[in-house]
Amino acid sequence: MSITNTTVGPPPPFDPELSAALEAMPELPGSLTLDLVAVMREANAAQEATDADLTRGGAFEVTHHTAEGPHGDVPLLVVRPANATTTAAFYYIHGGGMVMGSNRGPDSAKTFELAAELGLTVVSVDYRLAPEHPHPAPVEDCYAGLQWTAKNADELGVDPDRVVVAGASAGGGLAAATTLLARDQGGPAIAAQLLFCPMLDDRNESVSARQMVGRGIWDRGSNDMGWTALLGDARGTADVSPYAAPARATDLSNLPPTYLDVGSAETFRDEVVEYASRIWAAGGEAELHVWPGGFHGFELLAPQTLLAQTAGAPRGPWLRRVLGL
Amino acid sequence: MEDLVGRLAALDPDAGAAVKVIAYFDRLVEARAGLEPIVRGAAVLTGVAARLVDDDRGVSVRVDDKGVVRPLGGPPDPRWPNAPLHPGGPPALWLERPGPAGPVEAMVLERAVSAARGVLARQRGPATADDVAAVLDATVGERARQRAARRLGLGAEARAVALDGNRPKVLAADREPPPGRAGVGPTVPVLDLPSSWAAAKTALRFAAAGTEQDPGPSVVHADRLGGLAVLAAAVGPGAEPVPDVRDLERARSAAPWALATLVAVATTPSLRTAATTLVVHHSTLQDRLAHVEDLLGWSVRDPSGRLRLQLAIALRRLHQHPDQT
Repeated sequence: MSITNTTVGPPPPFDPELSAALEAMPELPGSLTLDLVAVMREANAAQEATDADLTRGGAFEVTHHTAEGPHGDVPLLVVRPANATTTAAFYYIHGGGMVMGSNRGPDSAKTFELAAELGLTVVSVDYRLAPEHPHPAPVEDCYAGLQWTAKNADELGVDPDRVVVAGASAGGGLAAATTLLARDQGGPAIAAQLLFCPMLDDRNESVSARQMVGRGIWDRGSNDMGWTALLGDARGTADVSPYAAPARATDLSNLPPTYLDVGSAETFRDEVVEYASRIWAAGGEAELHVWPGGFHGFELLAPQTLLAQTAGAPRGPWLRRVLGL
Repeated sequence: MEDLVGRLAALDPDAGAAVKVIAYFDRLVEARAGLEPIVRGAAVLTGVAARLVDDDRGVSVRVDDKGVVRPLGGPPDPRWPNAPLHPGGPPALWLERPGPAGPVEAMVLERAVSAARGVLARQRGPATADDVAAVLDATVGERARQRAARRLGLGAEARAVALDGNRPKVLAADREPPPGRAGVGPTVPVLDLPSSWAAAKTALRFAAAGTEQDPGPSVVHADRLGGLAVLAAAVGPGAEPVPDVRDLERARSAAPWALATLVAVATTPSLRTAATTLVVHHSTLQDRLAHVEDLLGWSVRDPSGRLRLQLAIALRRLHQHPDQT
């Protein structure tokens, strides 16, 4: 499927409430550069949840673990419903454009909330970040953490057949890549994958990428920066692995049930829609939501808006159906 | 990326926050957002639940501090900061927290009601008062008057009512005017309400306050005035009272009971009924009438004197309530 020759119209309007929220936010640079990453990593660190936050008043137990990976130890945060018997689990991969974020950052909050709502355990992985650790370090850390989770499922009180790989933004891309790796290497069972506004395609040439230049959060320029940090000069060339950019995968068959969502007014719109379409084309099962007027990360930035409330609503029911909860 | 920016609720109560509040509501207005986003904006920007209630137009929206729409619950607390939709009107928007509004809250209230006013004008047409004015005004186009009539919930026919001070009201044929002086126009097709209004204003001039100084019925129906209506046109502003009106005034000054006695005699079928109405003994009434007839210089008990009395009373009311249009 090629949409690069499609006439590019003006960007879709932002949802009115999102537009107002964006207006009230601190001034943001149109495109992020690597120079800003150090500052942003510090800002993100200030917003991390503490273990105490994650216990939700004692309803959850927090433990810390380490997986051995090909690039060294991979820290894992495990948040488990207190006194529960065996549970299903999220294997969560955080966002941050491949260059920032952590396994207890703000983007993980909706996954912890969903886990609380459904009684799931969360294993949240702290993978190495680009540009210090380019591909394949991030995805191999994620995969090592997934293997550890499967291997230690019994001790964790997790049902290894009901592990959902989930991720937001760059984490969504890494979740899709981890799922492809598991499929191709005969790795751990993955019951489903939840891809929140995932970052899938290093080529960054879609209509939506071109429409959203300089607009909203994470425009085409920011996306270039993130992919270049991960892939260096290889970005956009024929050499990019599908385990780095899952949109490069030629075979999307035999994937677990997949949930994808994205805003209509964000860079990732078209690559997410295309990924869902290709899963269907390959005979797979996918649920796709394109939220009109949504910019990247709108649920995190403006959680009070009606669109954010609406976007959060279908995930629980989808998981209940897919996991048979 | 998404983790960079703070949440809306974290706005500082400084000048920068005020600018952002203005920008937030301006953007909602530009995007033609509805009432719910405006109330949600008020709630999330102040961090407390907010409600908008306009009984006249059936508006009732309540949003909690997380942006979730909730039922109204109990009545508003008078200690909550609030703002009217129109200057001098009743409170319409509340922030559900006791105590005076801080600077940011005051700004939120002001911008939110301003935005809500625009939405109401667009979605539901002008305020009720404007709709009433429209249906009574023959210079307003017929389609606009029909629309206004529909918004007021009128059927095919209705009647205009002039309340004390020439305040307009429009009532369905089976509805009674509120207590106090009222001139009731004839029931007519809604497009003829301007003529009903003219008749109602005339009828109001014949309506008494119902006090000792201004005794008599306080509700007068235009279609029962008969030829008296012609008199109204004859008594314009500054018109000289005829001698019979001066005589009535003289009698009123001489005896506090005189006017009430004469009105009772003029408006009841017999002296016995008049005595009952006045709660005096029949012979007392006879004595009083003899006295007051001396003051007037004519008999009020024969048919021509009774007509003369009725005219004098009507003329006196017309002088008391001059034409205000």
